[in-house]
Amino acid sequence: MKAGFGSQQGAAVPGGPPGTPAESSAATWGETLVVGAAVPRVDGWQRVTGTAVYPLDLQFPGMLHAAVLRCPHAHARVKRVDTSRAARMPGVRAVLTAASPGADVPWYPQRGKGPTSKLFDPHCRYAGEEVAAVAAETLFQAREALAVIDVEYEVLPCVAEMEEALLPGAPPIHGGGNRQNETLRYQRGDVAKGFAEADAVVELSFRTACEIHTPMEVHGSVARWEGDTLTVWDTTQGVFAVRDALASALGLPRAKVRVISQYMGGGFGSKLGLNKHTVMAALLARATGRPVKLFLSREETFLCVGNRPPNRLTVRAGAKKDGTLVALEMKALGTGGAYPHMPTSAYLVTDLYACPNVAVEEDNVFTNTGPGRPFRAPGFPPCAWALEQTIDALAEKLRIDPVELRLKNVPSVSQQRGGVPYTSTGLAECLRRGAEAFGWKAARARARGRGHLRRGVGVAAGMWGYDGEPRATASVSLFADGSALLNTGASDIGTGTKTVLAQVVAEELGIAPERVRIEHADTGTTQYAPASGGSQTVVVNAPAVREAAQQVRRELLELAAAALSRPQEELRLAGGAVVTPEGTAHPFASFQAFVASQPLVGVGRRHPHPKGKVALPFVAQFAEVEVNTRTGEVRVLRMLGAQDSGRVMNRLTFESQVFGGIVMGVGFALTEARVVDRRTGTVVNANWHDYKIPTIKDCPAELTCLPVDLQDRECNSVGAKGLGEPATIPTAAAIANAVYHAVGVRVTDTPASPVQIAALLQRREG
Amino acid sequence: MADRDKRDTHRCRDGVTRRGFLASLGVGTVGAVVTGCAAAEPEPRGDNLEGLVPCHLEINGRRHTLLVEPRWSLLYVLREKLGLTGTKQGCERGECGACTVLVDGVARYACLTLALEAEGHAVTTVEGLVVDGQLSAVQHAFVAEDALQCGYCTPGQVMAAEALLRANPAPSDEEIREGMSGNLCRCGAYDHIVKAVRRAAAARVEGGLK
Amino acid sequence: MIPNFRYVRPTTVAGVLEELARGDARLHAGGSDLLGCLRDGILAPRSVVSLAGVPELRGIRELAGGEVRIGAMTTLREIASHPLLRERYPGLAQAAGLVASPQLRNQGTLGGNLCQKPRCWYYRGRFQCARKGGDTCYAAEGENQYHCLFGGETCYYVHPSDLAPVLVALEATAHLLGRGGRRAVSLERFFLLPSQDFQRETVLEADEILAEVALPAPRPGAASVYRKVRERGSWDFALVGAAVALSRSDGVVEGARIVLSGVAAIPWRAQTAEKLLVGRRLNAALAAQAGAAASEGARPLAHNGYKVRMLQGVVEEALRSLA
Repeated sequence: MKAGFGSQQGAAVPGGPPGTPAESSAATWGETLVVGAAVPRVDGWQRVTGTAVYPLDLQFPGMLHAAVLRCPHAHARVKRVDTSRAARMPGVRAVLTAASPGADVPWYPQRGKGPTSKLFDPHCRYAGEEVAAVAAETLFQAREALAVIDVEYEVLPCVAEMEEALLPGAPPIHGGGNRQNETLRYQRGDVAKGFAEADAVVELSFRTACEIHTPMEVHGSVARWEGDTLTVWDTTQGVFAVRDALASALGLPRAKVRVISQYMGGGFGSKLGLNKHTVMAALLARATGRPVKLFLSREETFLCVGNRPPNRLTVRAGAKKDGTLVALEMKALGTGGAYPHMPTSAYLVTDLYACPNVAVEEDNVFTNTGPGRPFRAPGFPPCAWALEQTIDALAEKLRIDPVELRLKNVPSVSQQRGGVPYTSTGLAECLRRGAEAFGWKAARARARGRGHLRRGVGVAAGMWGYDGEPRATASVSLFADGSALLNTGASDIGTGTKTVLAQVVAEELGIAPERVRIEHADTGTTQYAPASGGSQTVVVNAPAVREAAQQVRRELLELAAAALSRPQEELRLAGGAVVTPEGTAHPFASFQAFVASQPLVGVGRRHPHPKGKVALPFVAQFAEVEVNTRTGEVRVLRMLGAQDSGRVMNRLTFESQVFGGIVMGVGFALTEARVVDRRTGTVVNANWHDYKIPTIKDCPAELTCLPVDLQDRECNSVGAKGLGEPATIPTAAAIANAVYHAVGVRVTDTPASPVQIAALLQRREG
Repeated sequence: MADRDKRDTHRCRDGVTRRGFLASLGVGTVGAVVTGCAAAEPEPRGDNLEGLVPCHLEINGRRHTLLVEPRWSLLYVLREKLGLTGTKQGCERGECGACTVLVDGVARYACLTLALEAEGHAVTTVEGLVVDGQLSAVQHAFVAEDALQCGYCTPGQVMAAEALLRANPAPSDEEIREGMSGNLCRCGAYDHIVKAVRRAAAARVEGGLK
Repeated sequence: MIPNFRYVRPTTVAGVLEELARGDARLHAGGSDLLGCLRDGILAPRSVVSLAGVPELRGIRELAGGEVRIGAMTTLREIASHPLLRERYPGLAQAAGLVASPQLRNQGTLGGNLCQKPRCWYYRGRFQCARKGGDTCYAAEGENQYHCLFGGETCYYVHPSDLAPVLVALEATAHLLGRGGRRAVSLERFFLLPSQDFQRETVLEADEILAEVALPAPRPGAASVYRKVRERGSWDFALVGAAVALSRSDGVVEGARIVLSGVAAIPWRAQTAEKLLVGRRLNAALAAQAGAAASEGARPLAHNGYKVRMLQGVVEEALRSLA
């Protein structure tokens, strides 16, 4: 039986594949020249001129356009599909349904239970499931043909709310009840004893709304066959993951499937794995013998390519008078939608603060809603929203400053991993330096205003719990003219991966980063890299690239030392030349042995994680808000992100990621929520007007990025830890704590829009 | 609006127009089957356009003539028929700004503009900003300030900034935020976008770059 | 997917009216609402009639006696930035500057803004709701956080326009042109509640167009303001908005209009609050009192009760800004 696809869990699951090299890593750099500098993106020109070609921009001779017919009902059984009229529509070249050759592909695996569905499942479990697809000469024709496909549905009772899905008599979404799995439990120490010993206990319940990734470029693929070889241009964060799953879905050898995704318009976790529409494009292309382009509409991206699942979280925290945490407990309920997906995370509760007694229960139910996918720090922002507001409330109860309370409970080891020490832990420094730079004490003490505009400041902390897949390969080729080719399978999803990796090559080889050309994210031509996600891209790939460059460097120095009759250790590389201690620069091209054997090629691999230690990033963020007590409007005036992500590889792109994470957190905090009509189970705001992501006017006018680099020499050979996820984890909680400081109202549910704040203020005043 | 009347010459039966259309086939941009012009008998008071009709566009200073369906957006024609894919498609309903172009120097969503509406107006796309291989001041500033991440919204952001600075060469930060508030960036590059527009404004005022 | 249509570009009002008379036609002004409605299947006319080539529908002019006429094809950007309007009717210029986004203000027109189709997500979505000929209003029992507080009956959308409440507050008049000639309708009577007409949002007949809007010369001591609450800094329609137009003599309010957006299917006059103001001096206490009075008659649905407090606060703020 085939494994089935669509779990989309790739990036966030620890544990690596075999084939990992075993040597120890090289020492990290001391002083650097290129790494860490504010180097503009190597592909900036392409991105600002519109010459960067994204998958949606592609056109091939003879290319057909395809579109997907989706079930409009939240729960239904397809009784009959009649495509005869559609097949005769102008321009239509192929129609694909469950009955088509090759379309019987298993999908949505559940651990231990195998696939739960298939490419076209007659049992439609959410509004938006695939029923048929059409390829035609134009997209207009394809869509017009969809409109005349005659489908007979047996509409079934649906359940959209997670609490209702657990009630007796709720419509069964899969056989065996609506629980995805048994309650997940975590326990350490004895929480009952802990709470009994506590001087102060706080318990709060929270709800976080379903958030949709909505990257700027919609999801889609172009598929083209040449004989028995398939090439797919896909909007993906991980070409290798897509390649492997697609090859398996189509029963092809991996070598016969090439997946390319060089520029792509954002993913945030929704583009990690194989999508159904990619398989459909490949099948339609095979049926017609023509390239097929299949992209979703913007509306479709709100339905069927993932979300951050809604959570209901209750957190209870107990501490001694001096602020020492003695007990933490969380009960979580979430829904990954209609198919298997882990919707919650308790990681922060178990690992962010030192606490001897911790208990967690997580429940996970099926509902008739779109399936979840990893979304930038899966589970963490909701968990931070709950935990960090509870800690804030505990600080108030104990009359301890919220920063001080957190500092009191900074752990030195990972308790969740059984006491493994960190290679470095910057949590305390993020809190201390962040508070200092933010002017926390003064801002906290400042009068909150007496009129209707109240100001408040809040803090929240966080960490990220994944240290990356321990496998990646890269190669570097250096030419005698001082230019280099870097080959890596990594995708640059906008974080600046290419630029950072070019800096690593430049640093090692003494050339300018713009002399490095990068070949990447193409399973046909580039080396393996894991999907760009889970804050692992630099952590995993930069050490491999560095090792490849170091091999070239060693070879070059060997050859130069021989030519110059000097010891290797005396020589260094700078400005495309070998430089002697006296300062004489011998250009690479002056070495005949190099010219004759160029390019020098090095192959590097990622080394395993440090033994007996774990390398994770930490963060503390600070927010100042203004709340209008008449209208419930909240403005985030300023935010500061103190980030322990190890070495700053590029000051510009580092800051971009931190600010981007904060803006995304502002959206999670204040405006974003998928709205599902309870009775019909359908999404009513599947567009960017009604689903509200932040605009430039919602971005805090004052943003500060404060890197806290503790010079971690152990985490890996470049000294960098992850950044993308931690930058967004505590943002919403910091804002909620600031709102509480401003107006004394605890906003337990996201989004904290005027809709909610006005209602809370109204309720408070009776 | 007197200049609009000139468009009356763009009728199907106009021989010059037909020749212009046929010439444009040379670039291989019109994929649809040409069946002739359904609006062969224009009404005396204006155009009556149905089926595939000729459309004359001026884009980045170059004239293009092609057949369009009335429902085709300017965005669709730019991307699918003229191969100008620098203008990005994000939502097709005026909710993101990725398709921002200049029409007579003013920022507009190409997805909510019919191709036929753009007749008689000068359209500028991101491809029209690079002159002799040199980035415009705005483009240069976007690179220098790292005012982008995935880059997909960037051409639209660049065009919105261009429109803003043409209308207001020295905007305040608040005016920058207002002027750029019709362009979403899911990566959240907004802070750097403000800095980039500020930098571009200064560069333009100093006269070094356009 | 926009279905195909016949596109007509008349150059005179007469030509436009002739096209409308042929039936099954929709006007194309800025197009920002029309194209969305076509895409969502809200409208599917055989003909789309462009107004872009009709010069007489454009522009802002002052008549002798001080009345100001704004052509229906005038863009929101022009209204927001027009010196005369900013000076005499600041609330109108403010409202125009708060619509949607800069690009949409460049293309959106006065006429289009006033004649928008309802912005209910059930109506715009794939729901065969009562307004689209179905048998149920999904919002009545559904996700109605953005729906109306006043005047809802079998249909609960709110009017999406920011300009409409200000124009009603300013006692503007709509000039309509039809084959039978011109007629003038006070803006206040231009909009229709679902209970008055379930199919139309305005009194415009199918073969009529909105040609221009007339603003009476401001009275001495006149002031106006528009305050809008929205969830995001741009694009969003008002959760609640308040337009206030006052005339005062020696600081004493002589005439007052308070008109709300975001709370009803038409711009909603808060007449009890208006009456409170007349004959009194506007101060913080009176502003709060009038704000509280503005919600009189509100009938919240399950999820929009927050609008009651919000509208009170918005009216209070708008009034305080004029005190």
